[in-house]
Amino acid sequence: MEKAKIKASQMFILIVLFEMGSAILVGLGTDAKQDAWIAILLGLAGGLLLFLVYYFLFSYYQDVPLTSYLQLITGKWIGRFLGFLYIVYFIYCAARILRDFGELLATTIYTSTPLIVINSLMIITIIYAIHKGIEVIARVGELFFAIIYLMAIGGILLVTVSGLIHLEYLLPILENGWKPVIKTFLGETLTFPFGEMVVFTMLLPFLNDAKKVKIVCFGGMILAGVNIAITVVINVASLGPELFTRSNFPLLTTIGKIQLANFIERLDVLFMLYLVVGGFFKISLYFYAAVAGTADIFKFKNQYNLSFPIGFVILFASMTIATTYAEHVKEGLHVVPIYLHWPFQIIIPFILLVIAFFRNRKKKRLARGT
Amino acid sequence: MSILSKMLKNKQKKRQNDNYRQQQDPQKPEEQVILRSYLDNVSRIKGELGNSTDLVFREFTICQHKGTVVYIDGLADEKLICDFFIESLSDEEFDSRQEPFQVMADKAVGLGSLQIATEWNQVFDSILSGNTIFFLDGYNKAINVETKGWEMRAITEPSTQLSIRGPKDAFTETLRVSTAQIRRRIKSPNLWLESMKIGMVSQTDIAIMYLKGVANEKIVKEVKERLKRINMDAIQSSGHIEQLIEDQAWTTFPTTYHSERPDVVTSHILEGRVAIIVDGTPFVITAPAVFIQFFQAPDDYYSRFDISTGIRILRILSFYIAIIGPAIYIAGTTFHQEMIPTTMAIAIAAQRENVPFPAFVEALIMEVTFEILREAGLRLPRAVGQAVSIVGALVIGQAAVQAGIVSPVMVIVVSITAIANFSTPSFAMAIAARLIRFFMMGLATVLGFYGVMLGLMFLSIHLCSLRSFGIPYMMPIAPFNLRNQQDVFVRFPVWAMKNRPKFISKGNMVRTGENQKPGPKTKPDDQGPKGES
Repeated sequence: MEKAKIKASQMFILIVLFEMGSAILVGLGTDAKQDAWIAILLGLAGGLLLFLVYYFLFSYYQDVPLTSYLQLITGKWIGRFLGFLYIVYFIYCAARILRDFGELLATTIYTSTPLIVINSLMIITIIYAIHKGIEVIARVGELFFAIIYLMAIGGILLVTVSGLIHLEYLLPILENGWKPVIKTFLGETLTFPFGEMVVFTMLLPFLNDAKKVKIVCFGGMILAGVNIAITVVINVASLGPELFTRSNFPLLTTIGKIQLANFIERLDVLFMLYLVVGGFFKISLYFYAAVAGTADIFKFKNQYNLSFPIGFVILFASMTIATTYAEHVKEGLHVVPIYLHWPFQIIIPFILLVIAFFRNRKKKRLARGT
Repeated sequence: MSILSKMLKNKQKKRQNDNYRQQQDPQKPEEQVILRSYLDNVSRIKGELGNSTDLVFREFTICQHKGTVVYIDGLADEKLICDFFIESLSDEEFDSRQEPFQVMADKAVGLGSLQIATEWNQVFDSILSGNTIFFLDGYNKAINVETKGWEMRAITEPSTQLSIRGPKDAFTETLRVSTAQIRRRIKSPNLWLESMKIGMVSQTDIAIMYLKGVANEKIVKEVKERLKRINMDAIQSSGHIEQLIEDQAWTTFPTTYHSERPDVVTSHILEGRVAIIVDGTPFVITAPAVFIQFFQAPDDYYSRFDISTGIRILRILSFYIAIIGPAIYIAGTTFHQEMIPTTMAIAIAAQRENVPFPAFVEALIMEVTFEILREAGLRLPRAVGQAVSIVGALVIGQAAVQAGIVSPVMVIVVSITAIANFSTPSFAMAIAARLIRFFMMGLATVLGFYGVMLGLMFLSIHLCSLRSFGIPYMMPIAPFNLRNQQDVFVRFPVWAMKNRPKFISKGNMVRTGENQKPGPKTKPDDQGPKGES
C-alpha cells in the first residue's frame, strides 16, 4: 500500500466529485420520467444503508484495503481470487466510464475525431495523475471543487434567468404509481452512482483520522445525492419529461437551451469543463483502486510501475467492450447492474460482513476466554 | 517523499562527497605549518600562486625584526594598510623588551578583525579573499588582518522588480552589503546568519539568514544539508544554487523564489522562510516557495487591501490568458465556431479569408516572431534597442496584416497575450507561462477546447505534485487551509493578517496584536485623550 495520508476534507471532496462524476452527465433515472428525482433520493437512502456495510467492514479492518481483508475473511486463496475479480471489476468500470465520456464528446462536439484519440488523451492525463499518487489526486480535487461549484451555481442562475424552468413539468408526481420508481431505484440509482462507493473500501485506509470516516462519507454522499437530484429536477423542468427521457445527455441539452441577451449562449464549454473534471475523478479513482489492488494482491513493491500497463488495459477495454454506443448503453442498463453491480457492490460485501462478524465474535470470545 | 527520508539520503551523499574531497587533495600536516623564516614563507606564497603580478609583498623592520606584508592588489584596501604603517609602526615607541609579534598584533587592532594564523590553508584563504597577512622573521605564525576593500557597485534602484511606493534600494553583488541591508530592516537578535563556502575552485561565500524561533528548524536544516551537498568547481550566481537545491528538476515552474529587493526578502524572512545570499549576485534566494507567492508584488502590501486584492486577481487572470490566449483563438476558430457570437464569427471569418494558413500556423508564426523580437530586444545595446522596437511594431502590427500573412484578430490575440505575460511580477513564473503556451496551442489544434482542458488538467496535476523543501507547491489552496487564506487571492487588511503562514513557520505564529483595526474611539470615556468639546 502506498504510504499516503489524506485529510478528511480531501476525502470528502473526492467522494463528492466521484459520486457526481458521470451521474450528472448521463440521463440518470430516465425510466422514472418526471419522478427521476424521487428515484435518485431513494437511491441515496439505499446507498447510505449499503455504505453502512462497507463501514462495518472497514471498522473491523481499519488499516488495510478491501483486497487485503478479503484474504483475511475468506482465507488466502479464495480471498485472492475474489480480490482479483474486484480488480477486473474496477478496470471494467473505469473502461465503461471512459467509453461513456469519449462517446459523449465524439457524438456531440467532435463528430469527426476518432474515439481512440479522445480516449487516449484522457487516459494519458489520468496515468500521469495515478503515477503521482493519491495525495496529488486529492489535492487536484481540492483545486477543482471550488471551480465546479462556481460553475454549477452560475449555470443554475443562467438557466433560471433565461426562463427555462417550468416546474409544472414535474407534475403529476408518481403518475404511474411507485412501480417504475422502485424499478429504477433497484436497477439503476442504487448501484449507480451510490453503490459505487465500494471503490472507497480501497481508499478509506488512507484517511488520517479513522474516526471521521462516518461523517465524511455520509456527508459526501448526501451532498452529492442532493446535487444530482437538483440537476435532474432542473433538467426535467427545462426539457419536459419526454425530451428528458429521449435525450442521451440531458444536461448538455439543457445547457444548449441557455440564451441570454443575445450574447450568452452555447455554453457547451462549461459542460465540457465539468465533463473533463468529473470524468477525470471518476476514472482515476476506479483506476487507482485497480492499481492499488493489483499491487496488494501480487505484492508489487512499487505500484507506480503498474499505472502504465493498467492504463493501457483500460484504454483498449474502453474501445472493445461494445461495438456501438447503443450496444454500450444497453449493456449499461440491462446487463451491468444485475450481473456486475449487484454481486460486487451488494452481495459479496454483505456475505463478507456476515463472515467477518462471526469471525470477530469468535476472536473476541477467545480473547475473553484466555 | 517525506523530508526525513530525503535528509537521510542527503546525509549519505554528503558522506560520499567528503570522501571524494579527501581523496582530491591529500595534504600532509607538515606542509601546513608556517615556517620561521619569512623569506621562505614569501617564496612559498610566490611559488603556490605562480608569482602572480597582483600579489604585493612589502618588507619592513620592526624592533630589529624583519617582516613582510602580503596582500592582493585590488582586493585589499591599500589606504588602510598604508595608514597603519604610517601611524603605528613608524613611531619609535617600541620597547625592545616586548615581543615584536605581540606588539604587531596589538597595534594592528586599528585595521579590523584580527586572527593569528598558524596554517597555510588559512593564509591562502585570507589572502585570496582580500585580507592582509603579516609575516615576522623567527615566528612560525602569521597575523591575519581583515582589510577587505575593493571597488564595488553602489546600491542602486532595482532594475527588475519595480515598485511604486516601496523602498528604492536593491541588493548589490557584495555579500556583506546585502546582509547589512537585511539586518538594517530586522534589528532582532533572533535574525541568525550562517555562512559557508561553496565551489571547490571558486570558494564562493554564501550566507543563510533566517529568523530563529519563527523559521521551521527542519527546513533550515534541510537548506543547509542541500547547500553542503553541492560539489562543483564554481558557483557563479544564485541561479546555479537555485538549480542545485530544487526538490524536482523536471519542471518549468520555479520552486524557489529570488528577488533583488531587500524589502521582499525581509518580509519573507519574517514569514519564516530562509534566505540564501550568494556573493557576486544581487539576487537573493528565499525558500520554501509556493505558487501564489509569485503573484504577490511588493506594492500589494504598500497600498490599500481592496485595491491590491483586485490587482492580484487581475494578475492571476492574466497568467491564465498568457497560457491559453492563443490556444483559445485556435480552438474557437477551428473547432467551436458555434460558440462565438454570430456577428463576431462573421467578422473573424471575413478577416481570415485572405490568410493562407490554418489558425495554428498563423498563431505559431506570430508567437514565434514575437518571442524572437523579445529575445533580441533583451540583450541588445540600448542604442540599437530602439530600432528593434520600431521594426517589431511595423512588422507585427501593420506589415504582417497587409501582406495577408496573419489576420488582424491574431495581432490582437498576440498583443494581449504578451501584455498579460508581462503583468506577472516574477520573471521566473512568466517565462514558464511562455513555454506552456506553445504546448497548449498544440493541444488546441488537435482537440479544441477539450485539448485545452486536458492541458490545464495536466498542469494542475503537475503543480499539485510539486514540492518546495517538502512544502506542497499549491499550499494554501490545495491542500486547502482556511487559516492561511489571509494572503492568497484576497489580501486581507494589514490589521487582519494576524498569523504567519502555518505551513512555513513553526511556532511563534502571531504577528499582529489584538485590536489593531483603526478607527476613532467609539466610547468618549475611554482612556484615550479626550476631545475638546
